[in-house]
Amino acid sequence: MSQPAPLPFVASLLDAPLPASGIAWLDALRRAHLDAFAAAGLPDTRMEAWKYTALRALGQRRYANGDAQAAARAVDPAAFDLPGVDGPRLAFVNGVFRADLSALDDLPAGLVLQPLAQALRQDAEPLRFVLSRHEPEQGDAFVRLNAARAEDGVALKVAAGAKIAAPVHLVFLGAPAESDLAWHLRHVIELGEGAELALVEHHVGAEQQHLGTAVGDITLRDGAVLRQVLLQQAATGSSLIRRSRLQLGARAQATLHVLELGGALARHELRAELAGDGARLDTRGVFMPRGRQHIDTQLAIRHQALNTASESVWRGVADQRARGVFRGAILVAPGADGSDASLSNKNLLLSGQAEIDTKPELEIYADEVKAAHGATVGQLDERSLFYLRSRGIPHDEARALLTAAFCRAVLDDLPNAALREHLAGLLANQLPD
Amino acid sequence: MASTRNALRDNAGVAEALGRNYSAGFVTEIEMTGLPPGLDEETIRQLSAIKREPEWMTEWRLAAYRHWLTMPQPDWAKLKMDAIDYQAISYYAAPKQAPKSLDEVDPALLETYEKLGVPLHERAALAGVAVDAVFDSVSVGTTFRKQLAEAGVIFCSMSEAIREHPELVQKYLGSVVPPGDNFFAALNSAVFSDGSFVFIPRGVRCPMELSTYFRINAQNTGQFERTLIVAEEGAHVSYLEGCTAPKRDENQLHAAVVELVALERAQIKYSTVQNWYPGDENGVGGIYNLVTKRGDCRGDDSKISWTQVETGSAITWKYPSVVLRGDRSVGEFHSVALTHHYQQADTGTKMIHIGKDTKSKIVSKGISAGRSNNSYRGLVKVEKGAERARNYTQCDSLLIGKKCGAHTFPYMEVKNPSAIVEHEATTSKISDDQMFYCRSRGIGEEDAVSMIVDGFCKQVFRELPMEFAVEAKKLLEVSLEGAVG
Repeated sequence: MSQPAPLPFVASLLDAPLPASGIAWLDALRRAHLDAFAAAGLPDTRMEAWKYTALRALGQRRYANGDAQAAARAVDPAAFDLPGVDGPRLAFVNGVFRADLSALDDLPAGLVLQPLAQALRQDAEPLRFVLSRHEPEQGDAFVRLNAARAEDGVALKVAAGAKIAAPVHLVFLGAPAESDLAWHLRHVIELGEGAELALVEHHVGAEQQHLGTAVGDITLRDGAVLRQVLLQQAATGSSLIRRSRLQLGARAQATLHVLELGGALARHELRAELAGDGARLDTRGVFMPRGRQHIDTQLAIRHQALNTASESVWRGVADQRARGVFRGAILVAPGADGSDASLSNKNLLLSGQAEIDTKPELEIYADEVKAAHGATVGQLDERSLFYLRSRGIPHDEARALLTAAFCRAVLDDLPNAALREHLAGLLANQLPD
Repeated sequence: MASTRNALRDNAGVAEALGRNYSAGFVTEIEMTGLPPGLDEETIRQLSAIKREPEWMTEWRLAAYRHWLTMPQPDWAKLKMDAIDYQAISYYAAPKQAPKSLDEVDPALLETYEKLGVPLHERAALAGVAVDAVFDSVSVGTTFRKQLAEAGVIFCSMSEAIREHPELVQKYLGSVVPPGDNFFAALNSAVFSDGSFVFIPRGVRCPMELSTYFRINAQNTGQFERTLIVAEEGAHVSYLEGCTAPKRDENQLHAAVVELVALERAQIKYSTVQNWYPGDENGVGGIYNLVTKRGDCRGDDSKISWTQVETGSAITWKYPSVVLRGDRSVGEFHSVALTHHYQQADTGTKMIHIGKDTKSKIVSKGISAGRSNNSYRGLVKVEKGAERARNYTQCDSLLIGKKCGAHTFPYMEVKNPSAIVEHEATTSKISDDQMFYCRSRGIGEEDAVSMIVDGFCKQVFRELPMEFAVEAKKLLEVSLEGAVG
């Protein structure tokens, strides 16, 4: 195979020297990943995982590596203020840790929360396993790029049995800069046996066209409980590509509420493994692209142990010229008897220029299972509209009401009431007037 | 149009003439020995020459072959398949030495016929015994042909159609599945051996179910079958392919192409029962069935319906599709796919909505037993202009045993806000409650399983012509033998 000239995107990201950590295995790993990224380039739509997300436009863009001025960028803390979220906070601006915007004093007992770079400086060895886990998958360009270039991120650990009451707020803020930037963050989160944590992952920004990548490992030991909210409000011009790996031990429970609202190109790959007997995962999500946004959610849930359960409820609303992409794959491994898996993805198309592509998948290798999925793409129910109109509610208002109700269903079981109301307000704002 | 009519009337005469040709035999040596294994342009020229095809057909095949050379074999299906050596296949086999009587036929095959209740005189035909004396299909066939010719229906082998109705073949062949459509379709276009050609002229309702079973002039259609069915404005036809009884067949690779064209208000119903050799219980041997089937609802208010019962073949790769081009056209797909032992099936459908107010319905029932893997793979695509398109998809999988797999990969691509697309899928096993209920009423374990499976498949079976539905039910029973207990 002849080597064509690398895409401007790839060339620009190879431009700067790799960060030097002084840790031999880490530096070698970064080099190897950068070489692999350079060799493979960007995935194209012939690859199944990228069938509906074309990277042609991104491939023609150039980014500067990292933001040297990040520490000096003026940021209004109101930008990431969330009601009902007032616990410890770790904040990054353009991929750089900002102590001044974080709240790390008086952390509750049992909680360790710090930037990954700091954790690596203190003792890199405990992180070696998770950071070296190699994933030689086709099309993993961004994961490789991230592994090569990410210097920092979130290092969070909850001690066994510790129950952290206040939700931990992780803020990733994009701020305008002199040029378009690429930043990369790597997160390592672990909940010890029987630990409990509420986590809010919050992407926010305005008026910039940066590219952010994030790769996270979240490990729940036996009996741990995680309640996570993912609020993605990245700047409408920016690109954000994330992969989260969630591993659940025996009887561990995770509940995720996901709002995908921002970004020009936003892709989230969420891979969950129900690895211990009796583990349970609930995901609730809504993606609402409009304008020319492209929002892509790739959910893959593996049932690997006995009596595991997963329930996924996802809604999509695409307006104007936007495109919403959803893949919800459930795999029940051989021997994972007693698995109970269900997934539902309902979508609304609000415009003749918008598009929804959805692909629920089931791969079942065990017979003592219950597995079901459903997906729909359509419009509002005419009868419901008629019902409201017959009661004197104008057409547009009736539509707005029904659309809001359609999305809101994913928030119903979020326990944090103040946050729930705030998120419902954000959903309403995203809808057409 | 008038010339077409005349050609149709002459059909019976054509058959006679053809029969004479065959009896005179192709005197060439090639006819006796077949072509040696291997595939290049020369093979295709020879094949085309043997079949006495016109120049344009030879060129068409060569173009397909040249395109095929540039294509990689697809690997996206969830199938584990040994590499196929295309140079090791003979693309024109001499007629095989047929067994002279049923005594020479494999007893296992006879046992299966016994279980399926195939009438004695048909068993010989299915087992490939030289039939003329045993089974008077000739007279049956001739009666039917007369009746069809009177109605103006053309029903003949593809080779015959290429020679006798070149204008129709040229107009429609490859218009639904272009020669370069996919790897196996390109291969088929280059080397197709024979198949059926059906033409139902404007306004004609075909007076009987057309079945390859009674097709006397297209026997030994071989491994690269090519079928083309055209229904003109307002025409109706129901076509039955295959047979419930397993066929004696030594071809390892089957790459068929089926094209359906429905013009305005036309309706085509295509039913398949596929029961080729699935390999033994250790997964040795068996047919690779790699088929491209597509229907084109070209005219407004047309309808194409696929019904398939797939129990055979070691590997099934098959996605009967409908392109809903005409406004208010309708596409349907009803499928039962059963896999046992080490069989693998990756099958489903595509419904492409282009016209306004188009409707499609998909009902797929997958049953996996033994160590088999059974996947549904489907696409529902609604293009921008397909106002008020409607799709409903239901995919159910039944697992029998712990070592098998059942998978569902539906793709939905929607670009029109007034469309409604729905997909539902479930996977389960036969529940202990169901079994207990049946057993407590004195029904044996195997019978209970077969009753439950029958109920599971009922939605599809009722789409089959009645006598086929009865046979299909029996076929599932036989195929599932040894799956429980």
